Amino acid sequence: MLKFIITLALGFFFGSILLASQAFSWYRIQEMFHFQSFHMFGLLFSAIATSAVFLFILKRNKQKSIYGNEIEVKPKKLEWKANLFGGLIFGLGWSISGACSAPVYILVGLHWKIGLILLAGAFVGTVLFALVERKLPKA
Amino acid sequence: MNAPLPWFIAGPLIGLIVPALLILREKQFGISSSYRFIGGVLLPKIPYFSYQKDGDRWQIQFALGLILSGFAAYQVFGAFDAVVIQPVLDYEKLAVNIYDVKNGLQFFLGGILVGFGARYANGCTAGHCIMGVSQFATSSILATVSFFIGGLIGSFFINPLIF
Repeated sequence: MLKFIITLALGFFFGSILLASQAFSWYRIQEMFHFQSFHMFGLLFSAIATSAVFLFILKRNKQKSIYGNEIEVKPKKLEWKANLFGGLIFGLGWSISGACSAPVYILVGLHWKIGLILLAGAFVGTVLFALVERKLPKA
Repeated sequence: MNAPLPWFIAGPLIGLIVPALLILREKQFGISSSYRFIGGVLLPKIPYFSYQKDGDRWQIQFALGLILSGFAAYQVFGAFDAVVIQPVLDYEKLAVNIYDVKNGLQFFLGGILVGFGARYANGCTAGHCIMGVSQFATSSILATVSFFIGGLIGSFFINPLIF
């Protein structure tokens, strides 16, 4: 129950920041891809930098989780064809829908009609991937 | 709700979620595996979905928080959508509300590509761009560059045709 509340609260926090900064918005995404504002770039770069600093500190301090365990951080495996081709497909979808995975959920709450259409699309895309994944080039 | 929260406040706050999830939940930041989890619940007979999905369960709770944030924002501010951004692009449709259901087909198509691409690339903006790049992981840097190339193609060449 505690874990559930923590996770829910962090999701709510994440969503609120994406809403307040308008990063969830189709318009902000188009603006970013057209290089018409620094807003989204600054947001992404400062998020990455903050995360990198904290990852460094956690590692240096051998920080434990609140459950007393070592914190393990693993990079995602390099599968260059999957990262490249999957990335291109994801990028196309991101620019068309103006939403990546988190904003899809935000839009379910904000504009439930378009949000549910998006969520249904994302799920159909996941199922399509599940059906063909063994035939796709990966590494 | 016209001026956005400045990037130099919003960005670091998003970055803080990474250590928060690690310390409070022992999880690496990400969200798109939630779609796989849903597949695991609904279609467990497909091999890709018959996996140890318990490790991804938290992402559904995280997603629920995201949905609630959207719902809360709607209750407080109403549907703040088209209005918020200056229409700076060169095609006309930006003057209207893009989230109108008449654009449903385009959003559905975009959603399919997001879902497919996120699983194929093994991560999305959260897991690759933020979590992965901040670890300087080659896979994530490559995926992030790829996201942007795909996004440029979509935004410049496809959107003007379909919206």
